[in-house]
Amino acid sequence: TDWNVSLWGKQRAFTEHVHKLAELVEEKSGGEFTMNISYGGLSKNTENLDGISIGAFEMAQFCAGYHPDKNRAITVLELPFLGVSTLDEEVAVSHAVYEHPAVAEEMAQWNAKLLMTSPMPQYNLVGTGEPRDELSEFDGMRVRATGGLGEAFRAVGAVPTSMTASEVYQAMESGVIDTAAFAQHAHLSFGTINEADWWTANLNPGTVNCPVVANIDAYESLSDEHRAILDESIPEAIDHYLANYGALLERWDGVLDEKGVEKVMVPEEELAEFKSVAGDPIHEAWIEEMSAQGLPAQELYDLVYETLDQTRASN
Amino acid sequence: MDSIEIGLWVTGGLFVMVVLGMRVAFAAGLAGLVGLVWFFWDRRDYDPEMLGWAISVAVKTAGQVPHGKVASQALSLIPTFILIGFLAYYAGLTRALFEAAKRWIAWVPGGLAVSTVFATAGFAAVSGASVATAAVFARIAIPEMLKIGYDKRFAAGVVAAGGTLASLIPPSAILVIYAIIVEQDVGQLLLAGFIPGVFSAFVYGVLIVVMALSIKGFGPPVGGFTWRERFVSLPPALPIVAVVVIIICFVYNPFGGDAWGTPTEGGAIGAFIVFLMALWRGMRLPELRDALVETAKLSIMIFSIIWGVLIYVRFLGFADLPSAFADWITSLTYPPLLILVCILLAYAVLGMFMDAIGMLLLTLPVVYPAVMALNGGELVAAEDSAFGMSGPMCAVWFGILAVKMAEFCLITPPIGLNCFVVAGVRPELSVQDVFRGVTPFFIADAVTIGLLVTFPAIVLWLPSLA
Amino acid sequence: MAGAASVLGDGSLLSRLDRGLVRIEWGMALLSGVFAFGLMILAVISVGGRSAFNQPLPGYVDWIQAFMPLIAIFGISYVQREGGHIRMDIVVGRLKGRWLWAAEIITTFGILLLMVALVWGSWAHFGRSFDFGAPNWSRDSSMDLGLPIWPAKLVVPVAFAVMCLRLVLQLWGYGRAFVLGLERPVAVPLVQSAAEVAAAEAEQVRGHD
Ligand code: NA
Ligand code: NA
Repeated sequence: TDWNVSLWGKQRAFTEHVHKLAELVEEKSGGEFTMNISYGGLSKNTENLDGISIGAFEMAQFCAGYHPDKNRAITVLELPFLGVSTLDEEVAVSHAVYEHPAVAEEMAQWNAKLLMTSPMPQYNLVGTGEPRDELSEFDGMRVRATGGLGEAFRAVGAVPTSMTASEVYQAMESGVIDTAAFAQHAHLSFGTINEADWWTANLNPGTVNCPVVANIDAYESLSDEHRAILDESIPEAIDHYLANYGALLERWDGVLDEKGVEKVMVPEEELAEFKSVAGDPIHEAWIEEMSAQGLPAQELYDLVYETLDQTRASN
Repeated sequence: MDSIEIGLWVTGGLFVMVVLGMRVAFAAGLAGLVGLVWFFWDRRDYDPEMLGWAISVAVKTAGQVPHGKVASQALSLIPTFILIGFLAYYAGLTRALFEAAKRWIAWVPGGLAVSTVFATAGFAAVSGASVATAAVFARIAIPEMLKIGYDKRFAAGVVAAGGTLASLIPPSAILVIYAIIVEQDVGQLLLAGFIPGVFSAFVYGVLIVVMALSIKGFGPPVGGFTWRERFVSLPPALPIVAVVVIIICFVYNPFGGDAWGTPTEGGAIGAFIVFLMALWRGMRLPELRDALVETAKLSIMIFSIIWGVLIYVRFLGFADLPSAFADWITSLTYPPLLILVCILLAYAVLGMFMDAIGMLLLTLPVVYPAVMALNGGELVAAEDSAFGMSGPMCAVWFGILAVKMAEFCLITPPIGLNCFVVAGVRPELSVQDVFRGVTPFFIADAVTIGLLVTFPAIVLWLPSLA
Repeated sequence: MAGAASVLGDGSLLSRLDRGLVRIEWGMALLSGVFAFGLMILAVISVGGRSAFNQPLPGYVDWIQAFMPLIAIFGISYVQREGGHIRMDIVVGRLKGRWLWAAEIITTFGILLLMVALVWGSWAHFGRSFDFGAPNWSRDSSMDLGLPIWPAKLVVPVAFAVMCLRLVLQLWGYGRAFVLGLERPVAVPLVQSAAEVAAAEAEQVRGHD
């Protein structure tokens, strides 16, 4: 069996688990089950889910925020201020939501089976000019933030501006945007950190959710042995990802020093204010809107917090 | 069958269709579609029951490409750049430029021809297309040169060659297309084209001066303009300067500080200035309507090739052909620079028979990764690379070389579109006359390309600042 | 390579159909041009708003992405009618009579095959973004404004369907020329010599220099 896998960009921390998975299944199947990973050759990133639904390739990664209408259920994981604080919690919460029948059913409409998440740390801002550490300073701020994050910044008067990740550096350099919200690895790989004067260390407004999915037909036509190999390799692949990303996060403070980027701590009361303005109302609006569309929104939302509590209790 | 083999057969089939005269855009799309069907069926071992499935997957995969690739912010530069060029006719910018160039520089030996070259270079700053530039100047510049005794063949050659400058000096549709295909920063490429374009104009100018000094009876200099006459010729040509400054400032601000915006915005603001100028010069609704339909026709023609070729490229992605070709190129034991020169020579030959945009689009998906691999990869640092430049800089440098080659092909027989156009505009000139007249400029272009290859800094200095 | 070509007409049914269709096609091409103009206006508003009032056009990129298929694809059939899609005419330029019409029939049929497939494929692409049960009928929306994407995706199969009609007419025209052995048939773009191409190009710029 040979699977074609559609990713985008280039190999980075964000795609390490897919490479690890490919390595593991090949090794365990004695070379009978291989994965051929393509960066952008098979599809455009925003059309990976379409490609899975067509059956053009067997496995792909995508981000929920690219097309919220295609994957409404998992956008619960992109709500701002969910309170997820580590990558381990991110994995636990994502996988719990992925296993919910309503989520699986929505993905099945795309002929897609959720395999694993690509856990991302909280998206903090890098910015140019004077550090912005008060909510009032967010008014009129042009920020690159998509999905629920964009909504959160809009709620405090900022102007969210979308563009593909590869355009962000140019936009920042040219003053089209003042700030960009990314995970640390992306600030590094898209060069925004080179343009930055400051980075918010504790704003922690939320993150994006980018699952890896398989085409259901392809998954089901695997031999029992190969399917078992695939399933059992996923936790290992995720562990590898977490270890790799952890190392990157440890280097992060050094990177800030080297680039002369100021680490901005937003005061607690400002954070609480941000959460009450941009967090709770957006959560309520999401539940209401998704329930109206027939999704068990409250149930999914509660599931996130139950899982979060369980994960914290078990540590 | 090996997917590489499928890739080669389909690519061969594509060239047969192109030679047989199928419209390039659709030949590429059809080749890609057939290739996808073949590829998917091959993955099901040619099981007759799976043919329907293979066709359906291939068709749906191909069917994503036109919308998916065209709905892009970066590509929106192309219609904008084309619109600027069409509006510029109505704004009277060509005549104004030629007048200004004549009054300021026609006093040098071979003056009127040198003026023509610099006026085409100026017009290049509002025109994204070479052929249109040549057509316009054939009407304005050739009669004036003939009046004062230039050889008619040479006069035609000057215009045909000068027209090619439009694709290097920004705005340039073809540079945008290159940037999209190879997924590099459009702004950097546009910046990179500026100096080589101006440089080409100077090489043409020097060539003309040398010919004027060494050939008896060459066109005389044209002097006698007062300073007053010179200065009054400037204001009508000023919008060109404004457009150039604006586009440059939107990509990279030479005055220090932030750039003003994105290239997309710069192109649009430039177009808007030319539009206001055209309104002021008396353009009315019927003319605007014609300009819009012409803009649509040229844009759609170019976009059809883009999505057609991208269907083929999607197939190549599945067949993995580009990386196989890159592996082969890097496995050759010849010096990388020699291989690069061979690639450029191959372009010279191919360009004799093909249109510039079609040629680049059809070849780049395979050739570009090979050139990058030759240099040491997309991410190579300058000190570890074969050509002494980092991966992204190599992408810019090769882009300018490829576009300069494509422009060179516009003046080479047997299919040199600029020469056809000049001959068509001037009834007293045959195509053979124009080809004869343009021959000295082959030498100028060969010198330019040689210098760009030898001294990459000419290309890379400006983008390395940004 | 040549682009421009001329299309002859007479009183026949084929020619009348050709001239009827070309009016629709011309309108579609004009709409493409109008949206290209609109793109320019959008940028002026966005830059102006940003520099004057620190208020960029919300969702500027979303609007560009919605406009582009109209600009780049909608008028495709008009370009085909005018023979404006480039090709290499080094071989067809030398063919005469039935040989020429046979070559045109083969290549036009190839294009028709591609276009029929793409009507299907791009319709499926549209279909995946469209859902009668969803708000705005949308199953795929843009990133900033949440604009439904299906209208822009629908542009493609519509434009390609018109293109299919055009190709059928051209096949009819070439087929008729082949059967009757015509020299200068109606309703199809005729290959022009280099001189004719250039003359057309010159005609276009006349009076605007
Ligand atoms: Na230009
Ligand atoms: Na040529």
